[in-house]
Amino acid sequence: MAETKLVKLKIDDREVEVPAGTLVIEATRRLGIEVPSFCYYPGLTLQAACRMCLVEVEKAPKQQTACTLVATEGMVVRTNTDAVRASRKMMLEFLLSNHPLDCPVCDKGGECELQDMTFRYGADASRFVEEKIHRPEEKWSDVVYYDAPRCILCYRCVRVCDEGMDVKALGVGMRGAHSIIIPNREDHLECEECGMCIDICPVGALTSGTYRYKTRPWEMTYVSTICTHCSNGCKTTLSVRNHEILRANNRDLSGINKDFLCVKGRFGFDFTRHPGRIKQPLLRKGDKLYPVSWEEAAQAAAAKLNELHTAYGGEAIGFIGSNRTSNEENYLLQRLARGTFGSNNIDHHRTADYTGLVTALGENAAAASLTMEQLYQSKTVLIVGNDPTNQNPLVAWQIRAGIRHFGTKLFLLNSRDIKLKRKAAQFVHVARGQEAAAVRWLATGEGQFASGVAEQLSALKTALEAEPELAIVFGSELTGAAIHDLVAFGSKLQGKVRYMALGDYVNSRGAADMGLLPDRLPGYARLDDKSAAETFTKFWGAPVPAKPGLTAPQMIDSAQSGKLKALYVIGANPFRHFGKSGAGRGQLGFLVVHEMFMTETAQLADVVFPAASAYEKDGSVTNTAGEIQLLHKAAEVMGARSDFDLLRILSHQLEKLGLGKAFQFKTPAAVFEEMRKTVPSYNVHPAGLLTGGAEPSKTQFTRNGHAPYDVPVELIRSANDNLFTSGTLGRFCTTVQSLPEAEAKP
Amino acid sequence: MELSPKLAAKFDQLQTAYPVKRSALIPMLMFGQDELGCVTDELIAEIGRRLELNNVQIEETLAYYSMLHRKPIGKHHVQVCTNIACKLRGGEELLEHAKKRLEIGHKQVTQDGVFSLEEVECMGACTGAPAVQVNYDFYENVTPLKFDRLIEDLDKGKKPEPQGVISGALHERNKLETPLISKKWGVKDSHKIDVALQLGAYQALDKALKQLTPDQIIDEVKKSSLRGRGGAGFPTGMKWSFVPKDSQKPKYVICNADESEPGTCKDRPLMEMDPHQLIEGIIIAGRAIGAHRGFIYIRGEYRYVLDVVEAAIAEAYQRGYLGQNILGSGFDFDLLIHTGAGAYECGEESALMESLEGKRGNPRIKPPFPAVVGLYGCPTIINNVETLSAVPSIILEGGEAYASRGTPKNGGTRLLCVSGHVNKPGIYEIPLGMNMKKFIEEVAGGMRGGKKLKAVIPGGSSCPVFKAEEIDIAMDYDTIAKAGSMLGSGGMVVIDEDTCMVDMARRIMHFYAHESCGWCIPCREGTNWLKKMLERFHAGLGRPEDIDLIGELSKNMLGRTFCPLGDAAAMPTISIVQKFRNEFEDHLQGRCAHNKAAEVLLGTR
Repeated sequence: MAETKLVKLKIDDREVEVPAGTLVIEATRRLGIEVPSFCYYPGLTLQAACRMCLVEVEKAPKQQTACTLVATEGMVVRTNTDAVRASRKMMLEFLLSNHPLDCPVCDKGGECELQDMTFRYGADASRFVEEKIHRPEEKWSDVVYYDAPRCILCYRCVRVCDEGMDVKALGVGMRGAHSIIIPNREDHLECEECGMCIDICPVGALTSGTYRYKTRPWEMTYVSTICTHCSNGCKTTLSVRNHEILRANNRDLSGINKDFLCVKGRFGFDFTRHPGRIKQPLLRKGDKLYPVSWEEAAQAAAAKLNELHTAYGGEAIGFIGSNRTSNEENYLLQRLARGTFGSNNIDHHRTADYTGLVTALGENAAAASLTMEQLYQSKTVLIVGNDPTNQNPLVAWQIRAGIRHFGTKLFLLNSRDIKLKRKAAQFVHVARGQEAAAVRWLATGEGQFASGVAEQLSALKTALEAEPELAIVFGSELTGAAIHDLVAFGSKLQGKVRYMALGDYVNSRGAADMGLLPDRLPGYARLDDKSAAETFTKFWGAPVPAKPGLTAPQMIDSAQSGKLKALYVIGANPFRHFGKSGAGRGQLGFLVVHEMFMTETAQLADVVFPAASAYEKDGSVTNTAGEIQLLHKAAEVMGARSDFDLLRILSHQLEKLGLGKAFQFKTPAAVFEEMRKTVPSYNVHPAGLLTGGAEPSKTQFTRNGHAPYDVPVELIRSANDNLFTSGTLGRFCTTVQSLPEAEAKP
Repeated sequence: MELSPKLAAKFDQLQTAYPVKRSALIPMLMFGQDELGCVTDELIAEIGRRLELNNVQIEETLAYYSMLHRKPIGKHHVQVCTNIACKLRGGEELLEHAKKRLEIGHKQVTQDGVFSLEEVECMGACTGAPAVQVNYDFYENVTPLKFDRLIEDLDKGKKPEPQGVISGALHERNKLETPLISKKWGVKDSHKIDVALQLGAYQALDKALKQLTPDQIIDEVKKSSLRGRGGAGFPTGMKWSFVPKDSQKPKYVICNADESEPGTCKDRPLMEMDPHQLIEGIIIAGRAIGAHRGFIYIRGEYRYVLDVVEAAIAEAYQRGYLGQNILGSGFDFDLLIHTGAGAYECGEESALMESLEGKRGNPRIKPPFPAVVGLYGCPTIINNVETLSAVPSIILEGGEAYASRGTPKNGGTRLLCVSGHVNKPGIYEIPLGMNMKKFIEEVAGGMRGGKKLKAVIPGGSSCPVFKAEEIDIAMDYDTIAKAGSMLGSGGMVVIDEDTCMVDMARRIMHFYAHESCGWCIPCREGTNWLKKMLERFHAGLGRPEDIDLIGELSKNMLGRTFCPLGDAAAMPTISIVQKFRNEFEDHLQGRCAHNKAAEVLLGTR
């Protein structure tokens, strides 16, 4: 990167050196000097509309807006003179002249930028005695309301909708003092319902349909955790009152996603209070499940599992883990399967071939991984398959931001006309299912394509070969050998190439990382990796089984046919996803399920344990980019327990019966400590995690030959969720589900 | 939707007329509305389809422009101007009369849908005040009697002959006048190319293309000390020299014909009676900066002028003055006239460019200035009609000769439109630097009815007013600036002793509040607040502290707004409060200079 020239300027008699091109408002912030602003918002286009940031600049004939003024060598800026303070006061006086001053009943009261600025710089008396302009409040959607008189017209909402989201659902209507923000469908919105406009609003003009009039900001506590929906792992700050989540946003701009959240992140938390939540352990007696005590349920589960293990051995028992439980829980589950039951029958619903990617990259895997921040800063991006706008909203957001800020060139190879096409430098349209073949052509030149496609691929290849760096993002369309081809192609390019596989859910990556795989131990260690097996044996006090286990679909088939005697399912719905439909549990002898809701799988169970959601527990999760982040318990639901607790309870019950060793971890953090020791890629420094940041895991290992990961066709399947669905959990997100846009989507 | 063949043809032409499709949005909305009576949902959908725009992009744009209507207006849309020039000659009384005659109020439509009424801002007929526009037809010097006859005729399906050339443009030349750019005025068919050619049109273009280099053209303009006639008075040659020579991007010339500063109506006759002079000036400007494309942005109200200029452009193409290889010189230039849709703010150069790009007319952040980043992000020069119309004369007679017509640094002649309480309202071409008092007395015919002079707005409503004793002054940019006002756009409004200055301040602020784009806080809220306060004050409900507050709020806007509109609203107000404070105090006592003390007390106005 070329060295950036620095310029030195003086602000309030203090010198500061900033890169050439820095705006004065940013330079003042470096010095910790506050220059107020409404319309200035980092990352969005400049407006100079609110005039709050007027400052004095030596030799300028009048006050200048610090938000549009570029710092130059020798510039002398004053931000705290009488005249500057007077300007701020005047702006606020003007602004408040048509403002309803209904702070006592305004949702934003207490966290309103206009209130704060008035408190700091404003006038103590109003001189406005004229009649204010009135307009009734408007409901634009179930989740977005607009109150025009409160609006200060900073245009943040319009810009974030256009520039940030590329939705363009908001505009400015009328003019002069009658100016208002208008939605795209006359009196309502038809959009992605992301609610970005609500959170970016500095005042109470845009309010959330789910939060409005519910509480005051000072009555709540704020817990930052990770959104439980897609695999991008956005940080979300949950606003909680009396253990109930009332709001999700990320206004402190922290985390990998800064202020970004999609509709699910912002409104998809109400499943925690869904009436369908299971709040008591259930035990099957005959045809029916009956609520029983914790003791009875735990004992029943442990006794039956022990009995079947004694009778048929570990291979007769299967374990299916979750895409949404924490790394610690996943680690414990596979430890239970492998260490306690001696079974490699462990898997989860795989939605991206992370194993394939790390296998193809080998010792280069850590260095070639692509974080969300690196994706944003990438000059060139290639996306193969997937529809990030719907399936991976943060990925799409990062790419759009990169295009705006760095002129990122975007290349797409897809069988669908995805929305990002609008922003693409080149779009290669291949037939459905041809993505892997197209990648093979790029890598080897082998394969036949319809006329037109070959030319496009050739142009794509030429274009990518000329790029100095490349970020490759791909969906479940590429697995195993196809990923091998992709990496082979990437390694031939001149520049640095990084990769990101796109999975479906918050801990899809973590499930794979933690070895919820029949043929890989935590950290993708092969079953025949002696040193890894030794380490685990040492920590678990039990040998690691050597024979590869069954995959999730195989387990369901075996369960239905009776070959598998018991199945232990955590936070997954495998009887819906796999196996013969309508066959139910078939010949399966015993089924234990940890669940929040009576899913298709839970309904078939012998024992159902009420599980806590990700918002009700501590732990860590790993996003699709391999970045580890911490979950923090925000809410509590009576009766439900974390899977961490449930697994501990079971291990103790089993130990009583003489099977395995009880888990002695008191907290998830203690499990994480063991993981740091047994899984090298998770030996990350906790400092970053503890401050709410993300730490990239460092998966890499010596490649054992050059064979691609051998993965059966169709094993890895994305659920192709859109913005309004979220696997089995989606149907319990009432608000998101009830939006008209949710119904309109396929 | 099914468009009429005529409209479909127009849309087809507009769709490909611009470098960027969206530019066609406002013209399409205007021409569509002309045919459909208003902007219908179907029209929006049709335009959206043609220009690849979504609903909100079209809605937000059209909501900005006062001439675009989402609901049907009357078959005859009667627009009465009450802005200062018309107000001084009975515009407000005419509006009241119109309300009674039509039995509808402002922005209402008669039940049969035949008439609608709207109080409008300055329509560029100040020397023919009070003026009325019915759809696009001008009617000037309208008395209540004339108004009634007009309505009767329209009702019967007859269309009375609209005003052609603005009244006050054609008059016997005063010996103090020095006609140069207005010299073809009054010659029959002067807008037609054959007549224009006989009178010397396109000779300057020939010289500019064949004898001068682009740098030499700019030098001549610099020597002429021509300054922008749109209001700011920026030296034209210098502006042209700011355009980067080595730009890879195309360059553009824009003629600002959005004449809307209250009191100003000089560009209208310039375009109507001598369009070829303007076209010639634009081509020469294009040659000077290396642009091959020009646009004339004309205010929406001047539709008949648009037709005249459009016809002239077609003639110029036919004769090879526009298009490829002009006069065999190898220079290419294309020119298009583009209609606005009712927004004073679009006279501001960067707002005009936004509007020309098919967006809301919000001004842009400066720097960068248009010479570097202008229309479509390309280097652009933008000049007023009068400025560009002076260019052929400068090229023909030389910069120095032109400069010598005025005073140092204030070269050439100036069109002054004088309106208000003078005997001969009209448009006069005089040398820069003429004494203002002498001009009013000898050229404009002195005060009407022998009344005493109270105040003069020297160059459009945004200029601070002069009191009667301050007008013994040379009318050039610098002298007027030194005296605390501006020569502005040449719209001089003369005010007599019977006028209430509080009412003038109210009407001026009403205009700026109406025209504020709303982009920045101080202008949006300041103009609205001041308007309401001045309305209340003038109605007799003022408080003593209001007088200082009016001045203070104006000062708070001054210099702090995004664009000069805030200053334009503040400056006249500050000067009126300062210079006519006694009238504000009189109002508190129930006295009004307009002999309507009783009305003030009753608060009926």
